[in-house]
Amino acid sequence: MSRSDTSSDFGETVRRAMNLSNPGLSRFDPLPRIITLDEFSRGHCGWSQLVGNYENTLDTMLPGYAQHTSAMLSTLPHWDAGSHGGMRGSYALKIATRPHPGAQNVAIKRLTFRKRGPIRFEAYFTFKPEATELKLGETDVRSVGFLFDLQGGDRDDGAERVMPHLRFLNAEGGQHLQKWQFKNETTKFQPVGDGEKTLSHYHLAPEGWQDLPGGSQRLCYNEIATKVNWSYLRFDFDLAEMKALSFQCNDRVFDMSGFDSIRMPAMKNLWCMLNFCLFAETDVARRAFLYVDSVCISGDF
Amino acid sequence: MLPENITAILARNETWSGEAASEPYEAGWAREAIVFVRALKDPVGPAPLARIEISPDGMHWVPEGTEMPLPSQKDGMAVARLTHFGSWLRVAASFEDDASCTVLVTLHLKA
Repeated sequence: MSRSDTSSDFGETVRRAMNLSNPGLSRFDPLPRIITLDEFSRGHCGWSQLVGNYENTLDTMLPGYAQHTSAMLSTLPHWDAGSHGGMRGSYALKIATRPHPGAQNVAIKRLTFRKRGPIRFEAYFTFKPEATELKLGETDVRSVGFLFDLQGGDRDDGAERVMPHLRFLNAEGGQHLQKWQFKNETTKFQPVGDGEKTLSHYHLAPEGWQDLPGGSQRLCYNEIATKVNWSYLRFDFDLAEMKALSFQCNDRVFDMSGFDSIRMPAMKNLWCMLNFCLFAETDVARRAFLYVDSVCISGDF
Repeated sequence: MLPENITAILARNETWSGEAASEPYEAGWAREAIVFVRALKDPVGPAPLARIEISPDGMHWVPEGTEMPLPSQKDGMAVARLTHFGSWLRVAASFEDDASCTVLVTLHLKA
């Protein structure tokens, strides 16, 4: 072993020890560089509403985007049991749909990257329907999930816009399906307004989702509509190869060899884009709530 | 750390008619709020009073007591200043038959 290897091993040991002794980081397993650590007891941490493109009038916004609303800071207050709270503080980020079947809502964090290499997205999340009935409602939430929206740098050869999507399809049409899905196609781009300057596409349209091989998973879904438990997810993606590396949810690590992202030619104004989205979708005429306790985004640089 | 302060969009380009209300917004962390309602298009028919509503659970709503006349022309504004609203807020209005207003409703919260 060379001297530099020994020094590197020592550095890694120190880094890991410091992370494990830090109560805010210890529940994550970040890559060496922490890009952001979002604990929603400190505020929205840059997670805002995904607004659709428009030109001249808001009427040009695609309906998929027009339905989106602002995320909230929530104590998970239940009518029967009071506030559930977060894992380490009082608040979580809450992404709520409107109350009609198929309604979606998306929160987004918009960054750019400075190094094309591996990044890691970790989060603690849970979901439930609005507790308007005294029933479990285990098939009310259609899906919850996340996506990245990425584009190479302006001097990269063959740069693409790449959008890895993963959702937990909880239920559809009343069937309790409980499986992870990805999609590698989006809807057709269309101009909004009266020119070609602004384009839009709704990449969360219901069509085109495919089952992740081996992606069935039963999550902890507690016994009434107002009991929730936090779950862990981790998604590793390589910005150099624009390829998914691994995905884990709680105790399960999934094979990503069959996964692919939505890919399209680079757009003229999105260089080095590094966007992260979290979304929820309801299957019934009842609001679906995605709660996120915390998010850690890290990179190997 | 500076106290939390955010702007939330409760309704954007929604055409309200009949019994209308914004989606519920959870804001128990905030001590004060201002709500603005802007008419994005010329309203149709008489402009009603909008009312602030509060809730114990985001599902059952009662008037908080604050009312504001909705705008009677495009780009007209209504405003309400609020404190002591508990955990939930929404804006509601009752329109006469055939009346409507396309609104932008924004909520400005401070801890």
